Formats: sequence, C-alpha cells, structure tokens
Amino acid sequence: MVVGELTEEVDVLVIGAGPGGYVAAIRAAQLGKSVTVVDKADLGGVCLNRGCIPSKALISAAHHYEAAKTSPYPGVETTATLDFSKVQAWKQTVVEKMTGGVKTLLKGNKINVIQGEVFFSKPDEARVMTETEGHSYRFNHCIIATGSRPIELRSIPFSKRVISSDEALSFDQVPESLIVIGGGYIGIELGQTFAKFGAKVTILEGTDSILPLFEPQLSRLVLRNLKKYDVDVVTKAMAKSVEEDETGVTLTYALGEETHTVRASYVLVTVGRRPNTEELGLDTIGIKLTDKGLIEVDEKCRTSVQNIYAIGDIVPGAALAHKASYEGKVAAEVIAGHESVVDYRCIPAVVFSDPEIATVGLSEADAKAENKEVSVGRFPYAANGRAVALNADEGFVKLIADKKSGLLLGAQVIGAEASNLIAELALAIELGATLEDVALTIHAHPTLGEMVMESAEVALGSPIHVVVR
Amino acid sequence: SSREILAAPSVRKFARESGVFLGNVIPTGPNGKILREDVERFLAGADHAQ
Ligand SMILES: Cc1cc2nc3c(=O)[nH]c(=O)nc-3n(C[C@H](O)[C@H](O)[C@H](O)COP(=O)(O)OP(=O)(O)OC[C@H]3O[C@@H](n4cnc5c(N)ncnc54)[C@H](O)[C@@H]3O)c2cc1C
Repeated sequence: MVVGELTEEVDVLVIGAGPGGYVAAIRAAQLGKSVTVVDKADLGGVCLNRGCIPSKALISAAHHYEAAKTSPYPGVETTATLDFSKVQAWKQTVVEKMTGGVKTLLKGNKINVIQGEVFFSKPDEARVMTETEGHSYRFNHCIIATGSRPIELRSIPFSKRVISSDEALSFDQVPESLIVIGGGYIGIELGQTFAKFGAKVTILEGTDSILPLFEPQLSRLVLRNLKKYDVDVVTKAMAKSVEEDETGVTLTYALGEETHTVRASYVLVTVGRRPNTEELGLDTIGIKLTDKGLIEVDEKCRTSVQNIYAIGDIVPGAALAHKASYEGKVAAEVIAGHESVVDYRCIPAVVFSDPEIATVGLSEADAKAENKEVSVGRFPYAANGRAVALNADEGFVKLIADKKSGLLLGAQVIGAEASNLIAELALAIELGATLEDVALTIHAHPTLGEMVMESAEVALGSPIHVVVR
Repeated sequence: SSREILAAPSVRKFARESGVFLGNVIPTGPNGKILREDVERFLAGADHAQ
C-alpha cells in the first residue's frame, strides 16, 4: 500500500450489483444521488448470471425439446434432436443480453461502476480491492446487497462431481445421471430440466415431501410429472457420504434405519443458500446480525449502523429476486429523503416446475391457522377452453378469501403459465379486492386468465363452467 | 380489537408521505377501504377518528 493514499469521497456506495444492488443504484441515481456500485464478479448478480435467467432459459429449452419429442398435438408429427452445447451457447447469449442491459442502464444513469471486492474498515469507510490495488472510499450512505451462495454439506463437500447450481447451469453436456440432494424449488427446477434433457435423475429430500414449503395439493402434481420423466424421488432421505471416482459418484443415504446407495455421474447439492455476510468486516463496524447470520434491518432497510442499509438475500424474508429489487428501491428512496418503507400485503412466489406453481398471500392452511373463516374457490384447467386447446389441462386456480367480507387473502395456481397468472392475483390482494371485484371483471375469452374470474365465482357459489354440488 | 387497515399501495404511500397514520383515518371505501380522499379529508382536519 502506498503511504498517504487518498481516500475517495462518494455519496452512495452500493455493494453488489444483483437485482437488489443494481435496482437500488438506479433508483438512487434517478433521485439525484451520485452513486458508485462495486461488484467483485459480474453485473446482474446471481439472478442474471447463475440463477433466475439461466435456469429459466434451460427450463424452456428442455420443455420445448420434451414437447417436441412427443408432440402433444395429434396430426402434428415432430422429431426432436438435441445439441446441448448449442443450447448452452444460446443460454449464454441470453445471460449476456441481460447483463449487458444492466451495464447500459447503470451507464445511462451515470452510475460509477467498479469491479472489486469490498470490506468495511470504518462505519463510513470501505476498502475496495481490485485485481491490482486497494482503494478506500468514504461514503455518506451505503447499501449492502451482497446476496447469497450455495450451502455446502459438510459430509458431502463440493468437488469435481459434487456440484452446486452454479456448475449444473453450465454443464457442457447432459450428464448421464444426476442425484439431486434437496427437493426445494431450485432442486426441482434443475432436476426436472435435466430429466427432460435425458439424464437419469434421482431426487433426495429430507422431509416427507418435495417442495415442502408448498401445500401437498401443489407438490403432488409436480411429483406425478417427475415420475413421467422417470425421476426417482426419495423423501425422508438423509444423504450421508459420497465416494467419488473417475467416472462418477456413489452416494450413501439413510432412509429411516436402512442405508442405501445410489450411483450417478454427478451429485447436485441444492439444500439452501447462505448469506454473503462473513467477509465484509461487519463485526468491525458493529452491524448486528440475526442468529441465522442475516443482517438485522428495520422497515426502512436500515441496519444497526446509521447510514448503512441492507437488502436482498442477506436480510430476512424470502430469498427472491423481486423482493431484493423492491427493497433496493425502498433503501434508495429512504436515502434520498423519501418516506418509503417495506410495505406489502403479499409477495408472489413461483416455481418453474412442470407444471408451474405460483402462490401469493395466505394458503388455506395459513388462513385457518390464523383462525380466519374462509371461502375457497377452485377451478380446474380441464374446464377452461384455452387450457384444453393448449393441451395443458392439468392444474387448477384456487382462491382463498375472507368469508364475511369476501376480501381476497391468497391464491394458488398450478398449471401452464401459473407464473404469469399470479400477477393479477397479487394486484387484487394489494388493492384489497373482493371475490366479487374479481368475478365482475371481464376477462378475455378464451384465455387462461378466465380461470381467475371463474374461481372467484366458484367461491361465491355461482360458477358458469363447473357445476356446484 | 384492531380492524385490518385496508388501502391500495398508492394510498398507503400518500399517507406515509403526508405523515398520516392510516389507523386514524375513517374509511369510506367498500369493505372499509381507505381511499385517497379519506386521507385528504383527514389532512384537511375535517375528520377525527377515535
Ligand atoms: C439456480 C437459481 C435459480 C433462481 N431462480 C429464481 C427465480 O426464478 N426467481 C427469483 O425471484 N429468484 C430466483 N433465485 C434467487 C435469486 O437469484 C436471488 O434471490 C437474488 O439474486 C438475490 O439478489 P441480491 O441482489 O440479494 O444478491 P445476488 O444476486 O446474490 O448478488 C450479490 C452480488 O454481490 C456481489 N458481492 C458479494 N460480496 C461482495 C463483496 N464483498 N464485494 C463486492 N461484491 C460482492 C456478488 O458478486 C453478486 O454479484 C434463484 C437462485 C438460484 C441460485
């Protein structure tokens, strides 16, 4: 280090350029702040480079390949061939388009972008280590958005053939076989995708159901579909140890008292993600963490250190990109002197499984646990003309409303385009819409969206396209 | 017992920026929903909830 090195002054320092950080940076710049963003890796964070975007690209390619193999339309004969390296190259162009877009947006908003690793030296000062040198920055405000990384199992450490979602997304060929440890949404999305590409997939889940955070009615349909692709799903299975050789891995797991082994080309560990809070020097500046290692924040996204904010996967709540971005806007607005707070009635969650699952607000079980009297309306895809014409008649839309007021409390959709259908329901909940409000809104025909209207009518006891018993 | 405070996101934002606690505003919208006008009426001092 150079003696007498200069400390640069910056106004708003954003650490991390994922969906939390880059959105925070842009909103702060829109509000007239001068902003510096530092990321040690690629712009766009996990979501754009190793998460949402590449996984969805592979999922849609796999879906297309599978659908083409067994054309669902009688009279339309197709043959499918797969050149996986081209699929990967395409996925990479998708990622580059999106990350390039982030770069353009940051530049367009006159945001100073630095590549380097940040750690705090003082409550108002951070050091940035680039490849060649270190620099100190004194800031007025800082937003920490350093995200998360895959959890490693101590007994089954990452290696050449024991991999995380990062490596699974960049396989250069479809593995012959794959064991997935962890049946959460990332494990299910990736397991199902590689099964469709032709891998023999085994999913091991510790609890008694895959997608344990979702109601059994939802996970059951995904499970049925996984079996169609010859995926072995083992629940209540505890992975114990792994042996690796030149050609593959042998994994040992316990199922109750019994011990089993399974062999595959790779083991993909998707048991959860850990917040990137350890190497920032948070303890030296006294930022409080929760017992899970997450950063404690208030409703303005402020940490225990004045002028330092935290957002995204490193703070409590759902580890989802749209939650990170929402918090990014709140933090930026608070810094700019606005009265913003984290204030939402609901936040949608989507699993891009086949069929897709999307939920928002309370489930029926949640509502009952809160001692709420509810009306429930469920409408099947099989009774929707558009769904049948799409050859996608599997699934349902379910609404949960307060019995007395009719106020919509929650919704669950499983089936084609569930990920898009859920947006209307989130809006309805935020606006305080009732079942009648939804039922009286004209939905275009024939569309999947009509199921939203009809499930509201089911809950109200007067549906047209199903018979009330 | 506390009733649920019901207001659209834009109304919640308007109240926040105006320094109004929604629990003090008398709702006139359907299902006890607080409308922007309700917040404006509160701000004008014409409205005093218990
Ligand atoms: C396979 C997979 C699929 C997913 N699919 C979805 C999905 O479909 N929908 C969804 O909502 N979410 C999805 N997620 C989750 C989503 O990616 C995260 O919730 C989101 O990326 C969190 O955003 P973030 O801004 O908090 O952090 P991140 O996106 O993790 O970004 C953090 C950034 O900070 C940088 N950084 C870390 N430490 C430092 C440091 N000391 N100095 C400088 N820079 C640093 C990192 O390089 C990184 O770029 C998926 C995740 C995975 C792994």
